[in-house]
Amino acid sequence: MTWYLIRRAGQSIAVIIGVMILTFILLHLEPGSAARSVLGLRATPARVAIFDSLYGLNKPLYQQFLIYVKQVFQGNLGISYQGLQPVSTLIAERLPRDAILLGMSTLLALLIGVPTGIYQALRHNRLADDVLAGTWFTLYSAPDFMEALLLIALVCVQLHLLPAAFPGGVASVAGLFADWPALVLPVVVLSINSVAGFSQYVRSTALQTLAEDYIRVARSKGMAERLVLTRHVLRNSLLPVITILGLALPDIVAGAVIAEAVFNFPGMGLLFWQSALAHDFPVMLGGTLIIGAATVLGNLAADVAYSVLDPRIRYGNR
Amino acid sequence: MRIRHSLATTVTALALATAVAACGGTTAKVGSGSAVKGTPERGGTVTVAEPSGASPDDIFPLPPSSNTNGYNENLTIGEWPYLVNIGVGGNSEVNQQESLYSSLTWSDNDSVITIVLKPWKWSDGTPITARDFTFVYNLLKANYNDWEAYDPGLFPTDVTKVTTPNLHTVVIDLNRSYNPSFYVDDVLTFVPLLPQHAWDKTSLTGTVGNYDETTAGARAVWNFLQKQGSNIGTFTTNPMWQVVDGPWTLSQFLNDGYYVWTPNKNYSGPAKPALSKVIFTPFTTDAAEMDTLRSGTSLTVGLLPLNDVGQIRALEHEGYSVAAVPTAGVAEIVPNLYNPVNGPLLRQLYIRQAMEYLINRKQILSDAFHGYGDPGNGPVPVNYGQQWDSPLEKAGGPYPYSPGKAEALLKAHGWTVTPNGTDTCQQPGTGASDCGAGVAAGQKLQFQLLYASGSAYFDQQNAAIQTSEALAGIHIVLKAEPFNTLVATTATCNAASHSGSVCNWQLQQFGYQPYEPDPNGSGIFNTDAVSNYGGYSSPEMDQLVNQTEYGSSASEFYAYEDYAAEQLPWLWLPDPSLPVVYKSNLAGVVPSSPFDFLLNPEAWYYVKPAA
Amino acid sequence: MATAETAPGSAPPSPAGHTLAPEGGEIAASGVGTQLSVRAFVTSKRAMTGTGIIVLLALFCFVGPLLYHSNQVTVNLGIENTPPGPGYPLGTDQYGIDVLGRLMAGGQSSLELGFAVGIVTTVIGLLYGAVSGMAGGIVDALMMRLVDTLLAVPTFILLIIVASMFSLTLPLITLILIALAWPYTARLIRGQVLALRPREFVQAARTMGATGRSILIRHMVPNTLGISVVTATFSIADSIYALSALSFLGIGPPPPFTDWGTMLTNGVDNLFNGYWWQVYPPLIVLVLVVVAFRQVGDALNDIVSGQRTAAVRRRRFRLLPLSAPRDG
Repeated sequence: MTWYLIRRAGQSIAVIIGVMILTFILLHLEPGSAARSVLGLRATPARVAIFDSLYGLNKPLYQQFLIYVKQVFQGNLGISYQGLQPVSTLIAERLPRDAILLGMSTLLALLIGVPTGIYQALRHNRLADDVLAGTWFTLYSAPDFMEALLLIALVCVQLHLLPAAFPGGVASVAGLFADWPALVLPVVVLSINSVAGFSQYVRSTALQTLAEDYIRVARSKGMAERLVLTRHVLRNSLLPVITILGLALPDIVAGAVIAEAVFNFPGMGLLFWQSALAHDFPVMLGGTLIIGAATVLGNLAADVAYSVLDPRIRYGNR
Repeated sequence: MRIRHSLATTVTALALATAVAACGGTTAKVGSGSAVKGTPERGGTVTVAEPSGASPDDIFPLPPSSNTNGYNENLTIGEWPYLVNIGVGGNSEVNQQESLYSSLTWSDNDSVITIVLKPWKWSDGTPITARDFTFVYNLLKANYNDWEAYDPGLFPTDVTKVTTPNLHTVVIDLNRSYNPSFYVDDVLTFVPLLPQHAWDKTSLTGTVGNYDETTAGARAVWNFLQKQGSNIGTFTTNPMWQVVDGPWTLSQFLNDGYYVWTPNKNYSGPAKPALSKVIFTPFTTDAAEMDTLRSGTSLTVGLLPLNDVGQIRALEHEGYSVAAVPTAGVAEIVPNLYNPVNGPLLRQLYIRQAMEYLINRKQILSDAFHGYGDPGNGPVPVNYGQQWDSPLEKAGGPYPYSPGKAEALLKAHGWTVTPNGTDTCQQPGTGASDCGAGVAAGQKLQFQLLYASGSAYFDQQNAAIQTSEALAGIHIVLKAEPFNTLVATTATCNAASHSGSVCNWQLQQFGYQPYEPDPNGSGIFNTDAVSNYGGYSSPEMDQLVNQTEYGSSASEFYAYEDYAAEQLPWLWLPDPSLPVVYKSNLAGVVPSSPFDFLLNPEAWYYVKPAA
Repeated sequence: MATAETAPGSAPPSPAGHTLAPEGGEIAASGVGTQLSVRAFVTSKRAMTGTGIIVLLALFCFVGPLLYHSNQVTVNLGIENTPPGPGYPLGTDQYGIDVLGRLMAGGQSSLELGFAVGIVTTVIGLLYGAVSGMAGGIVDALMMRLVDTLLAVPTFILLIIVASMFSLTLPLITLILIALAWPYTARLIRGQVLALRPREFVQAARTMGATGRSILIRHMVPNTLGISVVTATFSIADSIYALSALSFLGIGPPPPFTDWGTMLTNGVDNLFNGYWWQVYPPLIVLVLVVVAFRQVGDALNDIVSGQRTAAVRRRRFRLLPLSAPRDG
């Protein structure tokens, strides 16, 4: 296993570099110049040239890339073109907020989704199954912002129970928790989508597992139903859940643009989106780096978890 | 909000348009607001919604030319007001109380200005003197090319000499006579006073000196101040920025655009703030702002998105009042007169006229903007002020909606008109009844309209324009993109420079062109002006604009106004304006002139409603 | 459990201790399990309900405009946002365009998009993930690292680039959504395949000399059909919704293009204004179509796993006649 981990670590670095190269190329494919985007409508060719040489944008692409990589290894993620703030500061401010928001919503989704999925599998094709599946799917198929706005209309505007958006001035993570009523709705809205996913995948796998003979064997051996469920069904059903969780890690880092926009939550999603629009290369690259790292980490963790959950899965050898 | 020449900040992808409501005429659904009655209170916190994505990022009051973010002015105007402050009640006149001079006189055939400064003090106790003016002048003289608000030919390059006969008097000699109201309204309103005793240095730890008196020194000081001014992380910690002469100081600033003003305890002026704190908080979408307004809790002042005017009643139930505020600008479609494909078409006046005849501005104003806005009859908003509204504009402008006239014009110039199809040129040539120079036989009358996405009412407006232009066979193809993308991919195109992919755009619509109190088109419609994005150029226009800068008669102004209205350097559009929503117990927000709208919280105060 | 046929006289539970019988026992049985008989599909109530809804909606969207004419191109602000009434059964939207007609036109785009993306994504992801999982070793590592790379690239840049370089047309959007979605499916399938690989039936098949490819096709694919079907139904919902997210963010295709998701986005703006006819019709059809696909997918899942289970039971019964002790 250690050998496997070492090899994966090496591969991960390769992936991250691959991502950086791809992003670099894509960024420079964006129509229009960063200079014009930052300098605005009245940018003259002279000023554009000054901007370009200041930020090294007139050098050949590969050179720019190498300079950037060197910077990163020195721990410098660059300075945002807008507001001249260090990218690392921007990310360090926003990342924890998203981690909390999305971490909480994923947790909520798990807590609801997994048990529901198994329950649905047990009550397969009966009323309970249909009702639940219908509910999750309806919630899933309605767009995020629609659910958010409906909830806000009900809870905040009609009932005045919770604030409709984040009050500005969230300076720190502690501040986020101090304003915890404002967190409730975003967490709920974000978890709605995940619940459907978790429960349906769990249900599908659980169904398959329940059809297996060893379940019948176990039951006939007199194993308590609860043990059957937890030791066998749950374990197997968690496999797709783990994949999803692993896939969800980059999302936690990338933020949720729509939810952030509706709830006025200053997170990574909005930072990313606004930087993408504004051709703010340093922020985009820095963010991509973080997301790339999170992706490989998430997938690695998922793969390791597979083999923990199912000892028959071994890596490396056939 | 008063925005300068920078259009860059008027429309952002996810946020509100920052246009300000048209003066309450008969078309507005709410009035322009009357004074709130009750006993004034002291203290209180006000939270103002800002559009986000265009939040301030520079605290030095003279931003560099590379920073066209109009919101920086919102950040700095409360701490370092301009020499001339405009806006009294709802009128766009000079506000004597808040301006920094006690008298301003013209002499020598309107070519010499004598300004006597008020005996005010900086917040650290140092008196404000004429030296502070010469400090600003020296900085600008050495760096005017890098000053965002510089208008070529005007301050400071039109100054021949500045003298300071005594501690509080400044005498400025100009290179020619100027229209005094133009100069005061449009030029001196951009000049603040800066604390020479605290800022005249070239490094953080260096000592203050008279560096600004040499060109090299002035450059060094400018560069130092610009560098400090753009460092967001130190806006509230750098002691330089605590030396202010205005009613407010900045007490908190976060990099997502959230910032807080608290009163300057040592403000010398009479208009001392009654409020104890003003919070400016960014909102990422209209929806988020509306939701917060409708829950009635944390927001005190905000702008109402035009699509939600149906909610005015609900807002009033939550304790808000809604009012319309005049616009200070004109909305337009800019034609690129030098587009490689369509430039020759757009250079023909009769084609621009036909296109203007086909825009049903009245319907757009009433159905897309719900009546909130200016009808767009010409370059100057109607109801801007007595002296600015020519009879032609007041009567509806030279091009009221008339598809018949458009069709007739096109036919008279050799086009086959196919309603709901695409017209083609049958008679190329340069004769009076030919298509015009550079137009090929069979060329199609088709244009792409590029506009900034994110506002539902602009989507409606442009879809309506697409349909109405088709009535005479002018085929418009719509393309919406986020504002930043639009800015990044287009550039000013004129006779001198129009190459590259940045000049592939044909028609652009991204917001409105803001004006100064004197809306004379200078810097916009004259040849090679900074805001002349489409390359319009005409010697007669140049001459008329100059006349308004130098002469002050109404007829000279009307001559420019009517000429611009008729010549269509831009296609005129109705200019939407967002009504302001404010808590009913907050007085002073309205009535407001567009030039200090939401910029003068020192005039706001809470009242205990009269029983 | 399964609505498909249960073999008459299915075997009683095997007595404890008898592990001689291969658990899956289906060297031959897998052949049976992969056949989705049309009869099974047609007799499944859920499959038919789901298919019925989809067919009805498709008819509504594609045949409807032939019967109900409405002008979907001309903007008329004068009649914007009118409530349902004579001439406009579902009222008009903010462009003054008839909502019912728009629902049909939008449905064409949404259904085409959903189908195309859902099916293609699943097929690509299934094959890629299964091959990767089966291959193992370096091939698996390489393939998964490629997936990782694609997953990590920020979708925003791609979206903005494409939106500003080209005018977004339906085929282009379909391609982009497929490109963005297949890595997820691949990863899920591969995980499932990894779980299946060490199972006895695979070992048994190998012992019998089955090649990797035949194991892939005869065992892996059917066994991952459950997950695949779930993924496909989600993909359909996702892609329809993705289009509405695009227009919410301001980079969607400009009018006169429309689809259910965009109608919903625009309608939601008017939620507070009370224009319910702009919100609920697209919402209802959207949910209907997604739920219908889910029903079909679910039925497919049941049929496949149910058949296999039944076959297993039949096989075991036949394999154990002499060695099985009597029950009881």
